[in-house]
Amino acid sequence: MKQRIQQHWGLWLTLIVIVIGLVGVGLTRVNAGLYRQTVAQVTKVQAIDHNATTDEFNNKDVTNTQWVTVKVLNKQHKGRTYRLKNTYTKSQAMDQDYRVGNQVFLRIPSQKKAAITIQGLKRDTTLAFVAWLTLALLLLIMRFSGLMALLSVTLNAVLFYAAIQIDLATNGGHLYTLFGVLAVIFAVLTLWLVLGFSRKMLVTLGATIAGTGIAVIISLIVFAVTHERGVTYEAMQYVTQVPKPLFLVETILGSLGAVMDESTDIVASLFQLQEERPDITASQVFKSGLQIGHSIMGPLINVLFLIFMADTFSMTLLYLRNGNNWGYTFTMNMSLGMVQSLISGIGIVLAIPVASWLASQLMPKGARHA
Amino acid sequence: MSTITVLGLVLFALMTLIGGKTGATAFLSLIFNFGLLFLAIVLISWGFPAMGVSLVVGTVILAFTIFFGEDNELAAKTAYIASLIIMVALILLIFPVEHWVMAQGFSLEDSEDLEGMSLTIGVSFVGVAVTEAILSTLGAIAEASIAIAAGLSEIIEQHPHVATKRLYIDGISIGKQIIGTTFNTLFFGFFGGFLALFIWFSGLHYSFGSVINNKIFVGEVLMILFALIGVILAVPITTWVMTLEHRRAAKLKD
Repeated sequence: MKQRIQQHWGLWLTLIVIVIGLVGVGLTRVNAGLYRQTVAQVTKVQAIDHNATTDEFNNKDVTNTQWVTVKVLNKQHKGRTYRLKNTYTKSQAMDQDYRVGNQVFLRIPSQKKAAITIQGLKRDTTLAFVAWLTLALLLLIMRFSGLMALLSVTLNAVLFYAAIQIDLATNGGHLYTLFGVLAVIFAVLTLWLVLGFSRKMLVTLGATIAGTGIAVIISLIVFAVTHERGVTYEAMQYVTQVPKPLFLVETILGSLGAVMDESTDIVASLFQLQEERPDITASQVFKSGLQIGHSIMGPLINVLFLIFMADTFSMTLLYLRNGNNWGYTFTMNMSLGMVQSLISGIGIVLAIPVASWLASQLMPKGARHA
Repeated sequence: MSTITVLGLVLFALMTLIGGKTGATAFLSLIFNFGLLFLAIVLISWGFPAMGVSLVVGTVILAFTIFFGEDNELAAKTAYIASLIIMVALILLIFPVEHWVMAQGFSLEDSEDLEGMSLTIGVSFVGVAVTEAILSTLGAIAEASIAIAAGLSEIIEQHPHVATKRLYIDGISIGKQIIGTTFNTLFFGFFGGFLALFIWFSGLHYSFGSVINNKIFVGEVLMILFALIGVILAVPITTWVMTLEHRRAAKLKD
């Protein structure tokens, strides 16, 4: 009975959170007052002209021109309307077609003569909507466990932000130390939240750190032996610091979650196995660990591979349509993602024997002989 | 030999050494998936519609990832059917959202890389953004549905007459076990790769308002959220497909 009342309350609480969240999403349509930039809403759009274009690689596109009437929603120009000219191509690579109801950021220069320009779309409502949808599904299906998962992701995001601030304060001088320590803290915090502080958690932590560490050492050896042939650091995007350390740190952080995921699965299953069959020997535990690892590693490596590679899609496409051959396009866009996937893969595979071995050695011995 | 070749060989050796035949086939699935991804881009660059390409390529990638990694036939079949359903559901979400948010193509931060490039290539970058989002979620969907299907098929093996209602409870409870670590896999997978961009944002003192409306940032966060939604949906949908399969198998026996 008591449990039923609790369930009842849980459901109501979930529904209340969901409704409040939806109201929050709606509020992002009227939050212009919170922005430092000038925000305006498109009230009318009128197509003026369109021209077919052909570039030097024989790509055919269409350039459209439109009048966009906007009404300012905040700051000193609030309430005024402007009519602006917007040009966009059919492919919309850097520009876009504006539609009635869009909210945009405006740049209104202080000189009277200078042109007012649209700086970009206000995307917070869409972002809030999808975030709300995720949260609602998570709470409805997972209840409390969903909340814990969210908590650990949020805490990690805060740590991530703090580490970036420290990195900037030190000008990227201690990147390895900083993010090495951060990776360990990430692992401790996440596993502590998932497993609680226990022997199981320590074994998983050990496997995560050892697996990732050995993978990095192997990769560095391969880098040294092959003189990093085909690793195009110069093709890295958004780099403001020395690229090589940044790349390695990105790779370690990228694979950390997957290695933890896998180690948790293996160690948890082995501890459960030992509980069911207390007389199991260490070598049997080790073998079972490898067995469990077999079916996890393939899908897990593919998760990271697809994430790393999908990011390169737009740029790869642009290279291909700009008359570059497949080989050059791959080297400039996909090779870094490939190296990242391979190093992560090595970490994921190595974590299997490490986790199995640690579990077989560090399981509570008393129980085994009891 | 280039670094990629040697790293690839090391990974192949390790996967075969530790995973045996399953490991070797899993490595093959990785190579096939790479081929498929590249094929997808080439097809789109030749002018095939992005939606069609992502549907076809997505279906095949899911098949390679699931059937090459999982030995248990019931689990693999269930996971595959469930993944296809989830993929279609996600496409129905991703398509309108990407057309609403317009976070496609490139942003001002990409200017340096775009020097000397022609951007008027006549291929819709909104379509490309849809493809990117769909393909990046596939791994997570496959992984989650395999985990749940494998867990449930083990329960069915041990208790062949387990009630449908009981299977639902078990499915959700397996889901609860995997959701925390899966979230972290996705979080680190996406954000780890964007460390450089975040350092850029902080270093150039972007305001909070600029970051949450930034084309690249929003595109990236949306991809994480789509993948998370895929994983969350995998829990009830895989369980549901498993109950159907279980019921059908029971009927066949009678």
